[in-house]
This record gives sequence, structure tokens and C-alpha cells, in this order.
Amino acid sequence: MMADWKNTCKVLAISVLCLIFSNCVLAQSTHGMDVAVVVHPDTPVSNVNLTEVRRIFLGDRQYWNTNVPVVLLVRAPVARERNVVLKVIYQMSESQFKQYWIAKIFRAETASAPKLVYSNDMANELVTAIPGAITFIDARAVRPGAKVIRVDGHLPGESGYPLR
Amino acid sequence: MRPRFIPIVLLAFVSTVSAQSAPAATDSANETSIPSLLEHIQRLEKRVSELEDNQRKQAAAQANMTPPAAPERPAMAEPPKPEYPTSAPEVREAEIHYPSLQIRGFGDVDFSATDEKGRTSGFDLGQFDLHFASPLSQKVSYFGEVSFTARPNTYDLQVERTIIRYDYNDHAKISFGKYHTPISYWNTAFHHGAWLQTTIDRPEMVRIGTPFIPIHFVGLLAEGNVPSGGLGLGYSVGLGNGRSTILSRAGDSGDANNNRAWVASVFARPARFYGLQFGGAVYRDKLSPEHGPNLSEWITSGHVVWAKERPEFISEFANVHHHEINSNHTFNSQAFYVQLAYRLPWLENKWKPYYRFEYIHRPQSEPSPDISDLVGSTLGMRYDITNYAAFKAEYRNSRRGIDEPRINGVFLQTAFTF
Repeated sequence: MMADWKNTCKVLAISVLCLIFSNCVLAQSTHGMDVAVVVHPDTPVSNVNLTEVRRIFLGDRQYWNTNVPVVLLVRAPVARERNVVLKVIYQMSESQFKQYWIAKIFRAETASAPKLVYSNDMANELVTAIPGAITFIDARAVRPGAKVIRVDGHLPGESGYPLR
Repeated sequence: MRPRFIPIVLLAFVSTVSAQSAPAATDSANETSIPSLLEHIQRLEKRVSELEDNQRKQAAAQANMTPPAAPERPAMAEPPKPEYPTSAPEVREAEIHYPSLQIRGFGDVDFSATDEKGRTSGFDLGQFDLHFASPLSQKVSYFGEVSFTARPNTYDLQVERTIIRYDYNDHAKISFGKYHTPISYWNTAFHHGAWLQTTIDRPEMVRIGTPFIPIHFVGLLAEGNVPSGGLGLGYSVGLGNGRSTILSRAGDSGDANNNRAWVASVFARPARFYGLQFGGAVYRDKLSPEHGPNLSEWITSGHVVWAKERPEFISEFANVHHHEINSNHTFNSQAFYVQLAYRLPWLENKWKPYYRFEYIHRPQSEPSPDISDLVGSTLGMRYDITNYAAFKAEYRNSRRGIDEPRINGVFLQTAFTF
């Protein structure tokens, strides 16, 4: 009877350890899936709230300051980063997103839709090359030296970071 | 011995949960159409040969480069492998070039059948609409819109909008040209593209070619955002020619009198309620109609909109005040509509039922012609065939004028953009 009890305790302890380990692995992989908001190095911004990020990506804020326009770089369809941004920032489906930009241009509110980028590498390259550019990149693929901005005071990988 | 299986079962459970969470994250990706996937694959395949060469060059270049200081960032998981190196021509291609003309078209084909006496049923071509947008510099851009409307023996070509705009910043943008008057939400949100709007037709109070409110405005317009924190305020102020001697038309070729019209509108898009917009506008003009007395005109309007699709809610109200200059008589006409729609979450989100109620009241003594009382309901369904084409079917029940019989009608439309 006592041996059974000890065995059961041992098994439970192992089970708890397994669970903790699995959760750690899961948490680690979730952090790895964060989407970083990256801007051109000269862009005068380093911390914005999610509302402001939304205004920027919706094309409602079109200038960083009087001389620097916002240039939106958006991943092409099927990229996971795009799905995260559609879900969290735009809160739109793929077709709603397309319709939104057609309507935005048609209303003469902007002259062009966001530029499409086809990979994180391309996003990294263009955001560094084009003044005023802003894009979103898989946090694991952000190049060293890139300007990653805080969203709601958090960087990718930190708890409370909204873009994941 | 059985308890020893518990860890294995728990591990299996955790693995299952993680496995299930992964497809959930990519559900929306799977919704993407096959053509865009094929396009993406083709593009990637095209780059394979370049990739092989570039990989060697990149590796050599990176070995010689000292990376700049990285920003403070928590440790991340293993970085993914480079997937698509960017060439210098692509960077140049992505940079903005001036001018950079983009053309988009809208069209629709309609069918109608009503029990109205003297009206025949049948098909008709809706407006064929072309839109031009071209940034001319970092701060100057041009927008144009022309429409072709089928008439019994010809096509009517109209310049609907032509706007040259200078952006100082987000708070001050000034433009000159011909606009859709910002006295109505619908008038500035959907313009002439039937595909953009949920329903087949505009509400009667903002229908093209009717004189209830001035649909077009020729002059200058200043617009922008107002620093207002989470309230998201925006404004537009315009000065222009106002209505021509035909009240449903704008003064494209000159004003009908020496009195300029002006319009001012303000709206809010509160950050806390993403999708909500509400606002109001005032319009002032002096009318010199071809037939009838001169009138001074005050229009006030307001709107409340929930721009998302679950649900979509659009409601507008306008009061048109006319003052007959010679006789001092005043007339007030009112109109409103309420439209409710909901994008159904099933069947690939393609179906969107909607309902609209609209009402117009015009005093019998009102000298402005071509406006009649209206009480009407529209019940319909929109089906999005693709991302760029939709099919719409509507039943309408309406009564125009006083003591007139109600009219029932069925309307179909396929609307698209290209």
C-alpha cells in the first residue's frame, strides 16, 4: 500500500515536471513567433501604442513629421506575419483588407496602397533603404541594428507584447 | 503500473494541444486563394537561380561586415533561414517614382423588374467608372474619376472628380478641383463604384442626379486630422461654386452667381471603438435655378457609422433649409436612412444580408423641383463571388409622394472592380 502511494507520488511529480517543461517549450516558441514592428533607422519614433500602430497601418497617419511621409511595407499573402497583422491591427479578413485599400485610394485619401514585400529579408532590406518606411517582420528574422519599436511599451518577446 | 503511463498521456495531450494550436494560427492563411499562392510560388521559383548565386556572395559579404549595435531586445528563438534575398534593382523598384499613375475601373450590370405603371423590366449597364491616382511628388498627388453612363442613344461621359492635392502634413492638406461634397458620409465613402457599397443603389437622399443635396462641389478644400488623442477628430472645410442653374449639377464651368458656397464638416473615429465614426456637416449656398426663384440654402447633416461588417451600420440625417429671397418664405426638407448589414461567418464569409429604411419629407410648397416624399425599405443579400466581384439581389418596397401606391420591385446587380 505504502509502495503504491510512493509510486503514485513519484508519477505525479514527474507528470508535473513534464507539464512545466512542455509549457516552457510552448512559451518559448510563442515568443519566437512575435511580429516585430520595424522602422527606418532615421524615423523619429521608438515607442507607440497599438492604437497609433493601427492608425499608421490603416493609412490614417501618413506623415512621421512634416518632411517624412510614412511608407508602408506589408507582407504578401500567405505570410504568417501578415496574418498576425490582419488579425491584431486591421481586424480584417484578407478580402476586407484588399477592399479597404481599394476604397481608400478611391476616396482620394491616399495615392497608393502599401508596398508588398515577399519575405522577411526583403522587408529588412527595404525598411533600411526607404526613408519613413515601416514594416513588420518575424522577430527572429530582424537583422542586427534594425530599429524595432516598442508597442504599448513592449518589445517582441516580452510579456504583454500585442503582436503575436 | 498504470500510473506510470500518466506522464506519457500528459505529454501526448500537451503535444496534441500544441499541434492543434499551430493549424489554428494558419487558418486564415489557408483562406487565401489558390491563384495568389501559385503567383507566390512562381515568384519564388523564378528567384531560385538568383538565390544560389546570391547566397555565396552574401555569405562572403556578411563575413566581411561588422553588424551595427542591436537594440535592446530579449533573447529570441533560432532565427529563420534567409528565404528571399533582395536585389538592388528590387529596392529601387520599391522606392516611389513620380509620377506613378494607377488606373482602376469599376462596373456593374443590373436587372430590374417592378410593378410601377409605365416602367419596363430588363437589364441595363450601370456606370462604367475609371479612377486615376498618381503621386506627383512626396507631397503632391492627383486623383481623377470619370464615368460613362448609358443613355438611350449615347453614353454620357462625366468628370466626376478631378483633384490636385498638396499635403503639408497630416493636419493640413489642401486641394483644388471637383469633389464629392463632404456633406454626406455616403457621398465621400463610396463615390461611384457600386462594388464598394453593400447595396445596389445609393440611398435616395444622396442618389447621383437628384437635387436633395449637392453631390458635387467645385473649388478648394482643406482637410486633415485634428490632434485630439483617442477621439480621432478630422475636419474638412471647402469653398466653391456650389450648385449650377440645374440644381443636381455642380458649377463645373463657372458659378451660377457671385456668391460662393462653403462647406465644413467634422468627424470623430474614437480609438477605443475601432470601426465607429460619427460626425456632422454644414453647407451654405445661394441658389439661382434655371426655373424658379432664387433661394438661400443651409444644409445640416449628421452621421453615425459602424464601419465593420459584423455588423455594418450606416445612418445619416440631413435637413435642407431653403429661404426664398424675394418672398421670405422658408422651407425645410428632411431625409434620413438607416442601413444594417451583417457578414455571415459561414460559407467562406461570402454572404452579407442587409436592410435599409429610408425616408424623405419635402414640404408641398417647396419651390425646388425633382424632390418627392419617400418612404422605402430595401431587403437584400450580397454575395462576394471573388475579392473583386459581387452579386447582389434586392427586394424594394417604396412609396413616392403623398397618396401614391406602394411600388414593389426586384433588383439584381453584379458589380466588380478591375
